[in-house]
Amino acid sequence: MKKLIIPFLLLAALVSAQPSYTGPMPVPPADTRPDTLRRAYHARVDETLDWYLHAIDPAKPLTREQALVKLVRGQDAAAVSQRIIELLSVPQSGDMFWMFPWTAIAFTGRDQLSPEARAAIREAWRTYFPMRGDTENHWVMYYASLFLMTELYPDDPGETWFNGKSSAENHVEAKGFLLHWMDLATTIGQGEFNATHYIGEYAIPMLYLAAWAEDPAMRQRGRMMLDLLMAELADNTLHGVLRGPNARTDDTSVLERWNALATYFSWTMYGHTPPPSGYGGWGIYFAIAAHHYEPPPLFHLIATDREFDREQRDHKRSRRRWRYSDVEMMPVYKTGYIRRDYAVGSYQGGVTDPIQAHVWDVTWREDDPRGVHNTMFSVHPHASARVLQMYFTEYPDWMIDLLASQGKPSYGVPDKILGCSPYEQVFQDLDTVIALYAIPPGENFQRVNGFFSRNLRDVTEDASGWIFARGGNAYLAYRPLAPYTWDELLGYRQLPRGNSGYAWERFRPEGPVDRILVSPHANNGTIVQAASADEFESFEAFQSAMRALPLEFTLEPRPTVKLTTLRGKKVAFTYGETPVVNGQPVDYSRWKLFEGPHLNAGLGSRKITISHGRQHRVLDFNTVTTSDYVTP
Amino acid sequence: MKLPRLLLPLFGLLAAVATATPAYDFYICANINRNYVIGSKIVTTNGIFQRTDEGGWRHFGYNDTSITAVAFDPRDRNVIYTTALNGLWRSLDGGATWRICNSWDMTEGREVAVDPNAPDHVYVAFTDGIAVSTDRAQTLVRREHGLPERGKFTQTIKVDRTRAGRVLAGCEVGIFLTEDGAESWRRVHATTDTVNDLQQSPHDPNIWVAATQSAGALISRDGGLTWTPLAGVPTERALYNVTFDVTNPDRLAIGSWAHGVLTTEDGGKTWTSRNAGLPENPRVWRVGVDPAGRLYASVFQETLFHSDDFGRTWHPNDLAGSLVNYFFTLPKAAN
Repeated sequence: MKKLIIPFLLLAALVSAQPSYTGPMPVPPADTRPDTLRRAYHARVDETLDWYLHAIDPAKPLTREQALVKLVRGQDAAAVSQRIIELLSVPQSGDMFWMFPWTAIAFTGRDQLSPEARAAIREAWRTYFPMRGDTENHWVMYYASLFLMTELYPDDPGETWFNGKSSAENHVEAKGFLLHWMDLATTIGQGEFNATHYIGEYAIPMLYLAAWAEDPAMRQRGRMMLDLLMAELADNTLHGVLRGPNARTDDTSVLERWNALATYFSWTMYGHTPPPSGYGGWGIYFAIAAHHYEPPPLFHLIATDREFDREQRDHKRSRRRWRYSDVEMMPVYKTGYIRRDYAVGSYQGGVTDPIQAHVWDVTWREDDPRGVHNTMFSVHPHASARVLQMYFTEYPDWMIDLLASQGKPSYGVPDKILGCSPYEQVFQDLDTVIALYAIPPGENFQRVNGFFSRNLRDVTEDASGWIFARGGNAYLAYRPLAPYTWDELLGYRQLPRGNSGYAWERFRPEGPVDRILVSPHANNGTIVQAASADEFESFEAFQSAMRALPLEFTLEPRPTVKLTTLRGKKVAFTYGETPVVNGQPVDYSRWKLFEGPHLNAGLGSRKITISHGRQHRVLDFNTVTTSDYVTP
Repeated sequence: MKLPRLLLPLFGLLAAVATATPAYDFYICANINRNYVIGSKIVTTNGIFQRTDEGGWRHFGYNDTSITAVAFDPRDRNVIYTTALNGLWRSLDGGATWRICNSWDMTEGREVAVDPNAPDHVYVAFTDGIAVSTDRAQTLVRREHGLPERGKFTQTIKVDRTRAGRVLAGCEVGIFLTEDGAESWRRVHATTDTVNDLQQSPHDPNIWVAATQSAGALISRDGGLTWTPLAGVPTERALYNVTFDVTNPDRLAIGSWAHGVLTTEDGGKTWTSRNAGLPENPRVWRVGVDPAGRLYASVFQETLFHSDDFGRTWHPNDLAGSLVNYFFTLPKAAN
């Protein structure tokens, strides 16, 4: 499937010291005055830029990123110009991942580069044919780049652009898509929501629009969309760590929640978690223009204030379905509940992205999340050529077989813990999750995998059927609804890339390993209840409370659970039916675009209010205005 | 009855078979990037290749791993259309320069077809329907009246060479027919999964064959109005494409990932697996027959193979690591 999206694999090859990556856990500043936050933000941006500069080896030619950073710092324009000509003198590749870096260089260097270097960049946009891709993040990168470049060269005829369209034609088309995407995101929700890596693919193009768009409306819209992305990130992170659900994630980030490009943005914006290695790779492309943006102090408060429990409900949508579906985009009803010690998040189940979606989890706070697998969840390891065909235009046979060679090693394996399933339905009420499974005959894997981290403590298989554990300062109770066994979860080690694409081998990591609870039953279910250790006198007291909860369940003919949660809610949930809470069916039709203490918007409104305490920012895409106000 | 224009070059092709130098030009659309993923930093040459007189392949046009089909204006071979991930591309100068003809609201072109009886009319199969141009792709509009709101994923589109504006489309939920230049469509055969290929016989324009994902191969003997299964063709796995042999009306070949190459030499009554000499468990992406009767099989990321005895023996051809999406033949260009 040549059109799958690659993750951000631009790993920095350089390993010189990264102060914040290798240093102690950062402490969010107690001083939240705007100028203090601003200085800290720019210091973090500078750290990223400095790292790239310090990694320059005079004996080696500059990388594209190093050349760009030198332009940002106004250094060695002549040498950089020459290097850019060299970089563009060989066949190009990378599609839209080529477009936005060269857009950044074109704009950053427009007043510094030699005429020859600027001509080389301009010529490359005629001779290199980038593909537009097949996902929204691809298109956002493609069209934001094209929008900006056609503003930089506004009067050029079609023969000077790779696609044969004039600057004016390209500009209109790019604007058309960007407005369409922004409209979708602010009416029925973002498609690739809460992406652990792909957040960069949206944030970087929006930053570039905010920084360089000549059209004042698009410049403003870019800034507003960036505000929305960063406010959502602030709201969805637990001490800087983005947890589930995620429209897109990967085998690493779904376990080590901190280890994601999203963390780079948490660190850059709010400074309350260390950045990932190499500043996430693509992070440099944000840093080079980050001085054109800064998050308002109110976002900082949303990101760092975890003293009050809060529930947030958002409306999102699935990736676009080309076929084998009655709907073009499935509505996604997302729930998040965040407390100081842990967070619980979910959507209602089903396939939002064919490969990399993550439906629900409980993620607990770690004082230092680096290297920690601080999460618990279960999945049905679904793999289906027909479902892949819903989203991709490919033939059925080869996709499952070859996904591993295209960088998705776990898709077709029975013990995978990444992905969603059409046979999983989930309901969450505060910190209780019920996941039900009804896997039809003929499906590849008639099992449910529960993830049990190596970092859990005091894992106890209780005679009651509950499995109790401690994660950080959270108490966790996991109830499998069918018999199970335990397996060690093997890792995926990438082998040298040969002619047949990526190659992998499974391996047992050294030291303690994660385990998966394997429940090989088609009708199945998982209940997870979380609580803070501070709520109970002891772990044993938590266990006693859980044992005492009224619970009835059956798996035949369909999985059904009736449970009184630790919070006193009477929940009834049957696979295929609407969940009922305290006798009232959940009314998904009333789900708003955003609803919670920090983000609020009506479905279809194009107007999002971001709040913390008395401070508010309103992003009104109807009038293309941002307004701040403080309630008296 | 007026002789359809496309028959003239076809008769020319048939006559050319006996000549030493082929009187036709043979093109393929090929991807030679193994496991290319969007954004990959792999640089190879992909797209349209023309077979040279020496038997090699000459690349021309833009470099794109995703080209799915090519078509030419029968009046002017410098006018070339391709479908690819970005949509519909057009060249007016023999492939030297190109233009994307669609805007952002159309994507992932699957196939393009030019009406030989109305060559300004270009039909394009897209992932979410069908678009038509009546001005050589200067403008492109959706024409989907009669297609279902859901189920119009269109994998293949072919113009009936006997009549202007008569077009068949292979979609997610069946085969659709228009007889008025796509002003309206009607379903002539229902399927539960995608129709992957449609071909009109070069020998009898009333005969059409379809390759499908889960309904095997279908044949129509009345110009695409009614369809019946071709007995003997397996239905349990997807068939990717089908091709006629222009030199022999009884010969057809089917390409399939699961089944490899299947051929018939009795007009579809019996079918034979022709995989001996191909790599083990050949994952055949496409088959094609050139006007000399040489059968080609593109084995996924292996190489292109050819057979001069309709699949009894195979020989590696060229293009190691390739994946051929399309075969296309034109009468040879005048020097």
